[in-house]
Amino acid sequence: MKIALGCGTVLFLISSAAAQTSGFEQRGFLESQPFLFPQTAPNDSAVALDQALFQWDATYKPVPWFRLSGSFDARADTHRQVDRQAAVSLDDRRIRRPALDMRLLSAQFHKGFLTLEIGRQLIRWGRTDILTPTDRFAPRDYLTAVIASDPLAVNAVRATFSGGNDSLDLVWQPWFTPSRIPLFDQRWNPLPSEVDGLQIVDAGAHYPGGSQEGARWNHVGGQFEFALAYFRGFNNLPLFETRTDPAAATLLVERDYANMQMAGGDLAWQFPWATVAGEAGYFRSGTPGAQDYVLYVVQLERQVREWMLTCGYTGSEITGGLSTPLQFLPDLEISKSFVGRASLTIDVNRGISVETAVRGGGSFVRAEYSQAIGNHWRITPVAAWLRGDPADFLGQYRRNSYLELVVRYSF
Amino acid sequence: MNRIGRRTFVLTLPGFALAQNPSAAGSARQIMEEVQSRQKADSQHYEGTLEVIGGGNRIATKRWIFDRLGSSGNSKAMLRFTVPAEVKGVALLIVNHPDRASDQWMWRPAIGREQRIALQDRSTRFFGTDFSFEDLEERDIDQYDFKLDADEGSRWKIRATPRKSSQYTYCFFLVDKSRYTISNAELYNKKGLARAIDYRDFDRVKGIWTARTTEVHDVMRDSRTILKYDQLQFNIPLKDSDFTLDALRRTL
Repeated sequence: MKIALGCGTVLFLISSAAAQTSGFEQRGFLESQPFLFPQTAPNDSAVALDQALFQWDATYKPVPWFRLSGSFDARADTHRQVDRQAAVSLDDRRIRRPALDMRLLSAQFHKGFLTLEIGRQLIRWGRTDILTPTDRFAPRDYLTAVIASDPLAVNAVRATFSGGNDSLDLVWQPWFTPSRIPLFDQRWNPLPSEVDGLQIVDAGAHYPGGSQEGARWNHVGGQFEFALAYFRGFNNLPLFETRTDPAAATLLVERDYANMQMAGGDLAWQFPWATVAGEAGYFRSGTPGAQDYVLYVVQLERQVREWMLTCGYTGSEITGGLSTPLQFLPDLEISKSFVGRASLTIDVNRGISVETAVRGGGSFVRAEYSQAIGNHWRITPVAAWLRGDPADFLGQYRRNSYLELVVRYSF
Repeated sequence: MNRIGRRTFVLTLPGFALAQNPSAAGSARQIMEEVQSRQKADSQHYEGTLEVIGGGNRIATKRWIFDRLGSSGNSKAMLRFTVPAEVKGVALLIVNHPDRASDQWMWRPAIGREQRIALQDRSTRFFGTDFSFEDLEERDIDQYDFKLDADEGSRWKIRATPRKSSQYTYCFFLVDKSRYTISNAELYNKKGLARAIDYRDFDRVKGIWTARTTEVHDVMRDSRTILKYDQLQFNIPLKDSDFTLDALRRTL
């Protein structure tokens, strides 16, 4: 916490000085996020934890055709999901969140129909909300809760050609960034009973050395939008290789990342009664242990007064390869679910949202109420309830229902 | 030029040119055409300060920067929030069409994705203000039927009925005869009066009479939003490439 506040003070001074410069903009927040879990988990006895985050975003635009953007995170927590080293992370390959993280750092050039962005940036593809199969350049952070993950930035070169109703996105990512999966000794990584009595040790990862490429063409029509996307690279979610050391009663787990090709698309069509959106991707891999599959989402969106309602179905079909328990693929495993989200704007300061996923063996409901206080403060109490069969992807987290309180000061 | 942006009265063109000869008084349509011709500007920029006064007189303050390129329902607009801090960077792109409802996309920097605002969602309040998404668009005069409802001495009361998709079934505009500016608007939906809008503090900017303050009253919620216009400019050089989905993503 001292680190976070210290960095925050320094950055605040820098930003205050920079703010005198024309073309400079900034924003940020300081946030505390305590969790309360009513039940312990077999591999995690903690029932209360807290994490603090200071985030500062800044852009500098000295001339109309050039912009420099950055975002810096400083974190601290009580549950060792954040590294205790104070070094600044530039690659995001650690299993824990870095205490100091250059979350974004990119230069953007814009001329006519071309926008070129180079550096660490968030790249979001896809159109559906709850699951986005074509969002391949956005690894996620699953450390705090698998049902509420956050996207991570990647180091990439992105060229966007825009003209009229069409745009073409070309992305080259020379440096692989994995998703941050739940830690082996924490509740969001429930372990099978076969490893009872063994100590699980993260033995590192084999990170792929090649680059990743992708292209997405987006077309905007009168009542519809669609996009076609292609991705060639690696799955940012791991397969696991295990080795047992009986003498030490230890299971060594190495992470491996399968190569992947994805061809897919998304579509949204506005009807008078609702918007129908769909997104699908066909995933193919040549890596042993990885599966080929189709992942799709169909959803309806409808506004009823101040309620925004979204409901849909996520489906999948395995087309090749054998299923293995030695993987962490939440986007695939949560498929075959009915999903829904409802959000209500009560007034200018208050809102409610509820989201849910229901499948044969398990379900979750996550509800939050958000209240702004003045121009800087916002508090957001959250309750999440998970139920189901231990063999089900959601059901395995049945002891992870939680209460959360987010207190944020924005500046 | 036979077109006018009705929603222009709310935000994008808060004032109109001075009329010296109201010769079009005999026809509601002609009056509105005259209003439009005198308010025409190829571009617009302002910094808006909003005070949202909700139930219990709770006040929330927001600020945004608004730019528009084009006019008469054939225009594009970009709106970027600057205050409060938690919504700074949120932006809305509006592409107005002369023959149909606008296309709108919202950019939320926190999730790094733009979201298209569906046509059936346009009656939703915009970010907790008393403006709906539809109120932010600029519609062509050909999308309405006009009828002169009353001559109230210094003002005409004109009834406008949307021909195409709208949350409103009809509206009344009170047009100031001396300046050909809209001073009040009443917007009705199926349940009755939905919004009442008051335009005031008129000022002349580059020859265009402009309301410096717009107050919107959401009658059903009994909530008010007061929008004050600062740094108001017309006919400034703006680039078309700054009003695209790509430009929307380039906001902070």
